[in-house]
Amino acid sequence: MTSPILLLVPILFPLLGALVLPLFHFESRNKRQIYVGTIVVLNTIFTYLLLWYGPSEGITLIKLTSDFSIGLKIDGLSKVFAGLVAALWPFATLFAFEYMTHEKRENYFFSFYTGTFGVTVGIAFSANIATLYLFYELLTLITLPLVMHSMNEKSIKAGITYIAYSVGGAAMAFIGIVMIMTYGTGADFVFGGVLDLAKIGDKSNLVLLGYVFAFFGFGVKTAVFPFYKWLPMAGVAPTPVTALLHAVAVVKSGAFAIMRVTYYCFGADFLRDTWAQYVVMTAVLITILFGSSMALKEQHLKRRLAYSTISNLSYILFGVVLMSPAGLVGGLTHMIFHGVMKIALFFCVGAVMFKTHKEYVYEIEGFGRKMPFVFSIFTIAAIALVGVPPLTGFISKWNLAYAAVETGKVLPAIGVFVLLLSALLTAMYLLTISVRAFFPAKGFDETKLAHVEDPRWYMTVPLGVFTVAIIVFGIHSAPLVEFFTRIANGL
Amino acid sequence: MNRNLLLLLPMILPILAGLIVFFAKPMKNRKTRNWFVGSFLILNLLVTALLLCGPAVRVELFDLMKGIPVLFKLDGVGRIYTALLAIMWTFSGFFAFEYMKHEGNEHRYFGFFLVALGALNGVAYAGNLVTFYLCYETMTLVSMPMVLHSLNKEAIKAGFKYLFYSFFGASLGLLGIFYMFQYTTTIEFMGGGTLDLAKLAGHESFFLVIVFLSIIGFGAKAGMFPLHGWLPTAHPVAPAPASAVLSGVIVKAGVVGMIRVVFYIVGADFLRGTWVQTAWMSLALLTVFMGSMLAYKEQVFKKRLAYSTVSQVSYVVFGLSLLNADGVLGGMEHIVFHSFIKNGLFLTAGAIIYKTGKTKVSELKGIGKEMPIAMWCYTICSLALIGIPPTCGFISKWYLAVGSLQSGMTFFSWFGPIVLLVSALLTAGYLLPITINGFFPGADYDYSKLEKKEPNKFMTIPLILLATGSVVLGMFPNAFASFIQTIIETIM
Amino acid sequence: MEFIKNFPFFSIVLCMISATISSVLSGKNAKRLSMFVVSAVGIMSALVLYYVVQTGESFVYLMGHHAAPWGNELRVGVLEGLMAFFFSIIMMLSLLGGMKQIFKDISEKKLNLYFIMIDLLLASLLALIYTNDLFNAYVFIEINTLAACGLIMSKQNGRTLVGTMKYMVMSLVGSGLILFGLSVLYGVTGHLLMPNIKESVLALTASGQYRVPVLMTIAMVTVGLAIKSALYPFHNWLPDTYSYGTPTSSALLSSLVSKSYIFLLIKIVYRVVGFDVIAGSGILNIFFVFGLAGMIMGSVRALAQNDIRKMIAYSSVAQIGYIYMGIGLGTKVGMYAAVFHIMSHAASKALLFISSNGLSLASGNGKEFADLRGAGYRNKLAGFGFMVGSLSMVGIPLFAGFISKLNFALGAFESPAKLMPTLLCLAISTLLNAGYFIRAVIVLYTPVAKAEQPENLYKRDYSFIVSVVCFVILNFVLGMFSGPIMEAIRSGLNMFA
Repeated sequence: MTSPILLLVPILFPLLGALVLPLFHFESRNKRQIYVGTIVVLNTIFTYLLLWYGPSEGITLIKLTSDFSIGLKIDGLSKVFAGLVAALWPFATLFAFEYMTHEKRENYFFSFYTGTFGVTVGIAFSANIATLYLFYELLTLITLPLVMHSMNEKSIKAGITYIAYSVGGAAMAFIGIVMIMTYGTGADFVFGGVLDLAKIGDKSNLVLLGYVFAFFGFGVKTAVFPFYKWLPMAGVAPTPVTALLHAVAVVKSGAFAIMRVTYYCFGADFLRDTWAQYVVMTAVLITILFGSSMALKEQHLKRRLAYSTISNLSYILFGVVLMSPAGLVGGLTHMIFHGVMKIALFFCVGAVMFKTHKEYVYEIEGFGRKMPFVFSIFTIAAIALVGVPPLTGFISKWNLAYAAVETGKVLPAIGVFVLLLSALLTAMYLLTISVRAFFPAKGFDETKLAHVEDPRWYMTVPLGVFTVAIIVFGIHSAPLVEFFTRIANGL
Repeated sequence: MNRNLLLLLPMILPILAGLIVFFAKPMKNRKTRNWFVGSFLILNLLVTALLLCGPAVRVELFDLMKGIPVLFKLDGVGRIYTALLAIMWTFSGFFAFEYMKHEGNEHRYFGFFLVALGALNGVAYAGNLVTFYLCYETMTLVSMPMVLHSLNKEAIKAGFKYLFYSFFGASLGLLGIFYMFQYTTTIEFMGGGTLDLAKLAGHESFFLVIVFLSIIGFGAKAGMFPLHGWLPTAHPVAPAPASAVLSGVIVKAGVVGMIRVVFYIVGADFLRGTWVQTAWMSLALLTVFMGSMLAYKEQVFKKRLAYSTVSQVSYVVFGLSLLNADGVLGGMEHIVFHSFIKNGLFLTAGAIIYKTGKTKVSELKGIGKEMPIAMWCYTICSLALIGIPPTCGFISKWYLAVGSLQSGMTFFSWFGPIVLLVSALLTAGYLLPITINGFFPGADYDYSKLEKKEPNKFMTIPLILLATGSVVLGMFPNAFASFIQTIIETIM
Repeated sequence: MEFIKNFPFFSIVLCMISATISSVLSGKNAKRLSMFVVSAVGIMSALVLYYVVQTGESFVYLMGHHAAPWGNELRVGVLEGLMAFFFSIIMMLSLLGGMKQIFKDISEKKLNLYFIMIDLLLASLLALIYTNDLFNAYVFIEINTLAACGLIMSKQNGRTLVGTMKYMVMSLVGSGLILFGLSVLYGVTGHLLMPNIKESVLALTASGQYRVPVLMTIAMVTVGLAIKSALYPFHNWLPDTYSYGTPTSSALLSSLVSKSYIFLLIKIVYRVVGFDVIAGSGILNIFFVFGLAGMIMGSVRALAQNDIRKMIAYSSVAQIGYIYMGIGLGTKVGMYAAVFHIMSHAASKALLFISSNGLSLASGNGKEFADLRGAGYRNKLAGFGFMVGSLSMVGIPLFAGFISKLNFALGAFESPAKLMPTLLCLAISTLLNAGYFIRAVIVLYTPVAKAEQPENLYKRDYSFIVSVVCFVILNFVLGMFSGPIMEAIRSGLNMFA
């Protein structure tokens, strides 16, 4: 058995690496890439080693106050999130190497980009709500420079919006956290919740209100309606950021926190069939439809995907707020699969932007002929996201719907309908892009696209890997879902 | 060789062949491609025939999710549908060799044409709901490029309309699948249904709503009201051989979906006498009448045929909704018969467009003089569609009427046949004038301009075979009917 | 060990004496003396704190061994020791951080006067902390006011004069109210020593006599102190005074002067009137409401500022709102939180003032945000310090501000009616804080083209570096190891009762 202090390594290693990076004053791009690449890959390897062989007991690092301590621990849920993040990071970094060549201040960028890895792993490894909150806030701060990378007026505005939403969200979540601390038996995560019913007495409505605050507070990062505005705006960031952070690491840390709060703090049993559940579920369902509809309206490629993310994140939350093990399984499944699918989509769009500087849906007419690889993958990922079997999206949709149906209640049933409607909208806003790219209207002049071509392997390799994942996990999802089921039943 | 794996061939081979056509360099050459596609279609016929002669087979590929395998098996309904596919694809394919010359991008057309065949065979063989859904969605995706083939604005719009209506329909179907998974013992297709009445207790009324929604969902592909809107838009803009298979075969995938859900999962007994049956039947009859009316009013030839499809497929649906042996028999027969007929009609329309470029009904005066063979075939098919003995349409409609009268439903037992009758009259009204004007253009027709425009053998032979088929099937219906009887015995 | 008991008295006297000596010293020497005094006081306070914590009980020190009513008494408990220690640290660091600026801002002839004021200020702060005698408290309030006025005015430009006038007027209104209240209290009870007054007040409330006068005195004293500590809506004087003085003055005023009044108020609440009496009088509810209003309004005004120091000043209004809100909760935990916030706010706010000075130096003395763009790159340490202070103000975990926020929230739970307003205002105020502080940080790190960069006046300044580094460490210590400090506050407040 390894010592629990090792849990610090995957958190601190990238952070230190990031801190030290500016000191090297890398002159050549190559050297920096080797440096960053080594850190990221090593950290991924180390994270996975920990996930497999790591200690099962936790460690308390410091006590901020007598009952508010910073501690780390690996449990099932941590494994899912850390596994997802660590798996995607190296590929995203590879992609970023290429993409960032046409942005400025790469040192600065990669410094924060690498540091974010550590903070995200920190979120995954948090042993209690206090630690989670700490890393959650740090994540906001450390990703802020990435959002504002180009430092022009638009990106600064986006950055301020982002920080205002995130900090405001954390402040709301804070209300929920003090509820847990006051009415719970401890702040450590315990499956099934830590609430002390004797302490609550007749104040259950107050505690539920606390849950609603916590939900929406953490939900800000997950872009729950009506707190979604920052996400499409944050699309001004370089694409690797949008892809990895605003489709996976940052937004899913919100979902992850909601999972923790729901199942490990308040407890699903306490919340099931209460007004709080109805409130949050309604918000989630509205978000799903709203995100999809806005995506359909949006003509900017990255913002369209951002709205799609908004909608899909709420798929995850829909599973979570079903307050049942099956629901959690659905949420977890979609968390993983959506991560892979959306990052693939973003990278495709990123590749297009990198090669051609085109950003709008109507500008990519006929690109499919010139960038067949990118657009084939875009189409596969799109079809997967729509939820066509046997790709990953179907598995998560199935699990979510299964959980909703299993409850036998009205609101979840409406939810199933909403999921399907949103899938239809997804088909509309994604497949139109594919069709446009592959089937340009008659009279289309192909010679204008002479310079358009598939990018080089830095970009295509990650895309290829994601696509393989989309297909393989779609066809062979059983072990993964089995693992989720064990987590969701508190084993 | 494991006989079970033989079942996979009609799915895998067309997809492989399609990819070869799409990507392989030599396939850019028309002659090579035509040889390849032609011989492949024949091969497919042979493989299908081999399968059909054999016993029931079943192959389980892998678990898509826990307890949900990707399962294919060959049962009665699958046999009928796959046979239909093999035949119609061959006819349409050969017809297309000639027809597609003027459309361009032929290798793309044939690529998707073959891949779609593979997916549709999957629909035929699917052994449980999820597999069915998988093939159904794939089929939608790969058949869409055939619709938007010409790539003009209208076609692209129609392609999207087709895609989104189908997706929406499939979503409703999926909604049903979610609930059926919950309330059945297995989602594998079993004649008579697999409902778990114990689990269902207390949720029956809700479940009926779900079943109804999924019927409507699969109805989208079958052009059933209220999701029929895509059909009159999409079928006419597709190239004629594509419209032929779309109208003749692909719409039937929706019908297969209904059969699977109603008779193999939910069970006819559960639905009989409920409001769902009534509503379903009403929708079917409404569509029958509405389709005929719209076809009657429509002036664009292919659009008229598309509306006719809307109407005719709902004959099938009406038969199924009767939930009794004769009704289902009539419905299933009409699946096949309408396929032959409508394929024939669309291919005629294609031949006319190909040779003369005329698309409006009013322009077709004297066409019978110009293209007598095509128009004769057209006439025979028309008579069959109207249901005049001894053509096949008569047989199916007969059973439909009998089934309706035996259904024991006070109102619909006599109202259904009346609607069918009225619709048959309308059918005559919208199909026969073309024949009449085609052969008897009237006194003011300028015979001096007359020139023979008969298409070549690639077009005429499929037409003749289809027309013959629709008569022969009507004259010797018993073998086929008794085969369907055996299916019905397993599901009732 | 008994000898340590003399230290509180010594430290006050030491300050007074050195102030007198400074009047004949040159500026440089006066500075040296001041620094020595502050360090000595710091060490003595630390020893006192250690002693009280060891013995576990408070002691009363009779000045000149005369018993009441003639004698003056000092009272020393854990809390007093802690505060004295903490105040001297802040004072030391503030002096260090702004030292260069002091020598620039103030004409050489008057330099020694500045340090006299510093010494006097420290004396009055210590006296306010330790005193057990209300009249004595009043005397030192006045000394405190005058010293503060001197500190503001020292820069001697028009703005500081106006600021000083404003401050003076408001302060005198405040001290007038206090004096008036005290004399009434003396008239009613016949005592000036805190324990004695408390006894009589308890007796009076029990018997129901002099209800109105007692209530009046409580109201007048508390309102007077509230004015002096700039509780919203009595905050008008604050932004002008804080933003135009030399940075050390601003830091000291915002982090120590106003806090000493609040500390006195807490002392009065516990030791003069009695917690239960005051809780029953409804005055706490007024504090609560004004506190909440201050939290929100201070931040709203701060959002609108273009001058970085004015923004920090308005933020002080908000932070003082926090403290009053904590007191107003009327719960023990709320009170702990208020005391803790006195400390955490002092640590963060002084850091902000000091580092903002470093930033404006690096921007050619510009104080508007437009000038400060990219200042974080030009003076890296100041930028870092400002960021740490900001994050602490916003309430990010690991920083001092978060612990206060957490304790305020937890304190609210014992007072159900005030729970949701507290939590919501905390949330809103956090958001607002983030709005202006993080915006400011972003401005600091917005790169500027070389050509547009203002002149960098900042030269390497070791005292500044030491000061900022120590402040940052202090912030982290308060944020990460609050357990023992909270424990000390708890036992200190328990000793009060």
